[in-house]
Amino acid sequence: MTSTLVRQPDVAPAIYEREDLLTGCQAVAQGVRLADVDVIAAYPIRPYTEVMDAISKIIADGELDAEYIIADSEHSQFEIVKHASAVGARAFAGSSGTGWMYGMEALVVTATDRLPVLFLVGNRALDDPGAFGVEHNDALAVRDFGWLLCWVESPQEALEHVLIGYRVAEDRRVRMPMALAMDGAFLTHSQHMTRVPSREAVRRFLPPYDLGERRLHPDNPISIAPQVNEDWVMELRRQNWEAARRARAVIKEAYQEFNAIFGPRYPTPYFTEYMTEDAEVALLGLGTVGAPGRTAVRRLRAQGHKVGYVGLRWFRPFPTVELRECLGRFKAVGVIDRDFAHGSPDDGGILLHEVRSCLYPVRERPALLNFITGLGGRDISIGDCVQMLERTERAAAGEIPDGHVTWIGVRE
Amino acid sequence: MIKRIEINYRGIFQKSLAKRIGGDIVIIATRMGQVGFSNGRYSDSPERNGIPCKYFAFVSPDLSEEELEAECGAKLDIDEANVSVVLDDTLVKGVEPWGWHGIRPINEKVVEGGYLLVVSRKGHDELLRFIGKKPYPYHLAILEGDASFAGLWVYKDDLTHERVLGAIAALDPAIISIEAVEEYLRARTQQEHRAGAARQAYESVRERIKVVTPEQGVDWPYEVPALPRWNEFQEGIVVPAVPRGFALGPRGQSRNPMFKRGTTKTYRPVIRFDLCTKCTLCWQECPDECFDPTPDGLFDVNYEYCTGCGKCAEVCPVHECIVMVDELRFEDDRSPWELWRRDPDGYIAWAEAKKGTERVTYPPVTGTGVAVAEGQTVPRGKITPVRRPKYERQEVRS
Repeated sequence: MTSTLVRQPDVAPAIYEREDLLTGCQAVAQGVRLADVDVIAAYPIRPYTEVMDAISKIIADGELDAEYIIADSEHSQFEIVKHASAVGARAFAGSSGTGWMYGMEALVVTATDRLPVLFLVGNRALDDPGAFGVEHNDALAVRDFGWLLCWVESPQEALEHVLIGYRVAEDRRVRMPMALAMDGAFLTHSQHMTRVPSREAVRRFLPPYDLGERRLHPDNPISIAPQVNEDWVMELRRQNWEAARRARAVIKEAYQEFNAIFGPRYPTPYFTEYMTEDAEVALLGLGTVGAPGRTAVRRLRAQGHKVGYVGLRWFRPFPTVELRECLGRFKAVGVIDRDFAHGSPDDGGILLHEVRSCLYPVRERPALLNFITGLGGRDISIGDCVQMLERTERAAAGEIPDGHVTWIGVRE
Repeated sequence: MIKRIEINYRGIFQKSLAKRIGGDIVIIATRMGQVGFSNGRYSDSPERNGIPCKYFAFVSPDLSEEELEAECGAKLDIDEANVSVVLDDTLVKGVEPWGWHGIRPINEKVVEGGYLLVVSRKGHDELLRFIGKKPYPYHLAILEGDASFAGLWVYKDDLTHERVLGAIAALDPAIISIEAVEEYLRARTQQEHRAGAARQAYESVRERIKVVTPEQGVDWPYEVPALPRWNEFQEGIVVPAVPRGFALGPRGQSRNPMFKRGTTKTYRPVIRFDLCTKCTLCWQECPDECFDPTPDGLFDVNYEYCTGCGKCAEVCPVHECIVMVDELRFEDDRSPWELWRRDPDGYIAWAEAKKGTERVTYPPVTGTGVAVAEGQTVPRGKITPVRRPKYERQEVRS
């Protein structure tokens, strides 16, 4: 119910060291500083580039003691942090769009080797055409490999999720890489007043990185990821599945602890509901579409419509039970996809398929509409969201068939 | 009814040969009106020199190809073998193609009444000194010949391929008949001597089939290892290293007990410790780190881990100090250095007997050694390298 964008004025001042005007990328850089990251590997690509700029400045200013390595490509960049993580260094990297895809081999093995590196994905349209604007297909590409994958909506959330991300990823029950996804330009480059936590508060929340018996070290000689035969792979996949399952409980714990230290910032861990208590229909979206989405809800509420908005934060692990319970209450849900999945069932977006699969066992399922919109950084306006909500209401009334996919905002 | 044929071969050296035999069994069986298909044990990674590998052929007179495929195809290993062919007789010492499974007996898959067909110049009793006992009778057949070794993508056209087909026809004509083998070879090559080679092998193998009773062979209790369940080993694909350990003397260095690779070799290095100059080259150059430094400055070899690559013999600067010898001349993997320490004269006599006098000696790389001609053994004693004349520094006139 609470918007994460609403400030919490009653938090004890010692929790924060200052309030600053930060872009999403700068906020992530502050998170990296506060997490006392040991190794950063960088290779430029918009919109991710700004975070490497910001971190290098923090290091140059003497505020962070870390190895900062400029790689020759994303593939090397991701391999560097993977190996750094294996020897016990807290590591950070990131990329965008096609750069993320170029390093894909390294991204897969980081997950199969269960190394808890945190990556920033500044979401960017995949080439071609070469384009800068946001699209979610880049980050979503790792969804099946054993990654933690989470979207944030504001610089404040971005900073906080660097801390939450490391805590979840490095937990010995999890130890998975974490992709922190942010809408390119609209969040990565958008400046907002952001409160920067104090080192002391962060220290209370985020324990040091300890890979334990898995740490590659001369005193702990191990091999990591040797070639195996057919008689080993299934058990290794089974282990990683278990970690992905355990992550759900660890995420919950992390938010509880975060709220205990920093105040009730996140009443629900996986997604945020807005005006959904008596809503009959709702929109579900990832990332910055939340602002126009919630505003559209308020406008329609003023006209008496029973509508709500659900902002999904965690895509992996997918909050199956919680989202099923949440969305199962509505007559219809409009799923907003800032991605495409050409040739998939109903030609819908990736989020549609995940949500539909999640809701399938629900006896009285809501009708699902899918909106493909905002591709390549196209605006999603309040008006677009009003239109999507109205269409979802029509689906609830049976006027639009369940499963219908509409492109919103395309020149027709 | 299904007939399963297994072809045991050496990685790289016999890869094309085994595949060709497996493929031709299918083609010939098909010409006889059966269905069949052929594949290899994919996990074997046969692109490694000498690694024990398997190729399979499956034929059936009455099943559909799909049913045959469902029974025998898309599997890691064969269930059982009606005929198990061995293309290099040193494989009878067992096979360890990959880690965790230990050394598996060569006749592991041979069914009751089935056939183990070995290409060898040795006799039945000689081979049975290395082959594990089976709880039921089966046959041991010998096709006289040498292991046919070739390179990675080629095979040596020494008629082993045709002869093995003829031999299989002699063991079980229900798989392929000799007439069908001959007809196929003639049709494909128009070369009568190929059909003749198959026929000759067919005739000779029929004379060399013996029933092996459960009492015959060596005790070899082999059990397929129980691999750990998914929650019984380290996460993150992390494998603890072999615990560190180094002590002077035999087996003094820690090694991986789960994958020894010794069954990869067809020849083993025999060392004349009396000739050793302690140059350390064998120890340094061995790609599998098989040499153990000993307190007296020599280098013992751990044959369990030796893959028989021959590099030690090649780099050894002393003529006749390290010589590669047929693996089937050795019953065990005992430390040669210990034998040498206990009885130097006895060891030299034993080593020279194993080496035999028919060997081809390696040319010395550096220094000088005692040259042995065919029929001689190298006498005991240190060899003093003859120093090359030093080059004198000369004034260079400007």
